Amino acid sequence: MSPGLSGTLLLLGLMALPAIGMPIAFALGLASILALLLVNGLGSLDIVGELFYGGMASFALVSIPMFILMGAAVSASPAGRDLYEALDRWLNRVPGGLVLSNLGACSLFAALSGSSPATCAAIGKMGIPEMQKRGYPDEIAAGSIAAGGTLGILIPPSVTMIVYGISTETSIGRLFLAGVLPGIMLTALFMLWTVIACRRRGLGLEQLGRRFSLGERLVALPRVLPFLLIVAAILFVLYGGIATPSEAAGVGALFTLVLVVLIYRLFSLRRLGLVFRDTLKESVMIMLIIGGSELFAYTLSSLYVTQSVAAWIAGLEVNRWLLMLIINLFLLVGGCFLPPVALILMTAPILLPIITEAGFDPYWFAVILTINMEIGLITPPVGLNLYVINGIAPDIKLRSILLGSLPYVLCMVLAIVILCFVPEIATWLPDQVIGAR
Amino acid sequence: MRTYIRVVTALSRAAGFFSCLLLLAAVLVVTHMVVVRYLLQGSTVWQTEFVTYAAVAATFLGSGYVLLLKGHVNIDILPNVAGPRLRRVLDVVSVLACLLFCLLLGWSSWHFLYEALANGWKTPTVWKLPLWIPILPLPLGLALLFLQYVAELLRARSEASR
Repeated sequence: MSPGLSGTLLLLGLMALPAIGMPIAFALGLASILALLLVNGLGSLDIVGELFYGGMASFALVSIPMFILMGAAVSASPAGRDLYEALDRWLNRVPGGLVLSNLGACSLFAALSGSSPATCAAIGKMGIPEMQKRGYPDEIAAGSIAAGGTLGILIPPSVTMIVYGISTETSIGRLFLAGVLPGIMLTALFMLWTVIACRRRGLGLEQLGRRFSLGERLVALPRVLPFLLIVAAILFVLYGGIATPSEAAGVGALFTLVLVVLIYRLFSLRRLGLVFRDTLKESVMIMLIIGGSELFAYTLSSLYVTQSVAAWIAGLEVNRWLLMLIINLFLLVGGCFLPPVALILMTAPILLPIITEAGFDPYWFAVILTINMEIGLITPPVGLNLYVINGIAPDIKLRSILLGSLPYVLCMVLAIVILCFVPEIATWLPDQVIGAR
Repeated sequence: MRTYIRVVTALSRAAGFFSCLLLLAAVLVVTHMVVVRYLLQGSTVWQTEFVTYAAVAATFLGSGYVLLLKGHVNIDILPNVAGPRLRRVLDVVSVLACLLFCLLLGWSSWHFLYEALANGWKTPTVWKLPLWIPILPLPLGLALLFLQYVAELLRARSEASR
């Protein structure tokens, strides 16, 4: 057996390492190092440290801890509650207003935090008890929040998109823009389904609760608007080409931190320390996976795995849409086991050449990939959002959460199908704002 | 043994605290850079590099602390469905594999550090920072991670024998 082949086999065999519970970052790194040792001998130990380091030391990656810090600061404050209340006060006269304000709050909070579990927790804490109080069944209450929370990784700014942009060398600003319309479409689909589900159970959507005066409505705004302005400012700066994502994220994080301290009087050093601790925890986890996958991608390409797979697929001459279907199924299965960031980093080096070879737009594909991962977030066994809901609403059975989330999975599949037929939903906005590629 | 666990845990916590400070510094320096560059139309020399290396250093130095917080994401389906005995075996195997990773990558990164020092490498910018300074957190962080994993192993053993 040639060393290349045995190296490949070893690499694939070692991909079982995460299955025994080894952290993904270290499993990727160890599998790569051992395969390189087998193929290239001890000399590989001269380069892996430098590769690992080089994979992480880039200014573009600084945007990851910065955006995480921004999200952590918002999540540590009661901003989620205020956002929820403001929307409820403004939307409660609309039929199905509560559902709309829940999902709307999810997508707005998603923009603020860039994280799906954080969105789920922040809005769910308020939204689920409120829906239960007004007579919505557990399934709908839990399912809509679990699904709404997944929007966090699609609606900009999104850490997942940044990671995709870095690992595929695509423009992060463009990726963010590509996520906007599909994010709105998905929100609308979720809303539509929720209204239908309520109707089918004979639930009147006119349970309005109480009325709010214009004064009460206006009072709810000042606490929420500054945060929304920050997000708007970040997006404006990015798309105006004024600053890079890292710069925008850094300034945005500082502003958010200051606002949280000022508006919510979060003066205690201990709580600020907790914000930084959460940021460190999340960003170390992601950054180390980035380093590990740098080694992994290097190993794959030095064993010619990447090239062979791409050549093999190109040689198959299958219909490109059949190819897209296979890739989607592959991502769906992968998304059920791996967290989004890890999945992107592990598959992007293999998938991107295939995608571009088949003539698909990498920005459009980023949206498809992200929706696939959103599905993974609300399906077992590692559907993070399901467990978040289970944590904040312990009175709802996991079974009800699962059943309630299922229709939303179908909504996301529908969104993928729509995007396949009308790719412009993802590509139109970036073309308009930044110009055609 | 208990002293070892306590000392290593304290070390990891201290490194984690330092990492948080690095992140704070990074946020402040990015903002400073943006102000100088876009508002004052000035040019910046060291900020971009400082921020990049601070974020990387925070990652490496913080990795042991994040282990303590159980923040390194893994797939725990198999350990969760396994019986208590199999689970203990899986845990030990995965910790040993992590130790091997720290050893191999750690060895390689000391080599990287040594080369940077011996050849007097500098960063390719106006700042000309000696490259060994930003590299140093890599081997240090991996050493801390190694020590913390050993502590986890010892803790698991003492819990098992109880």
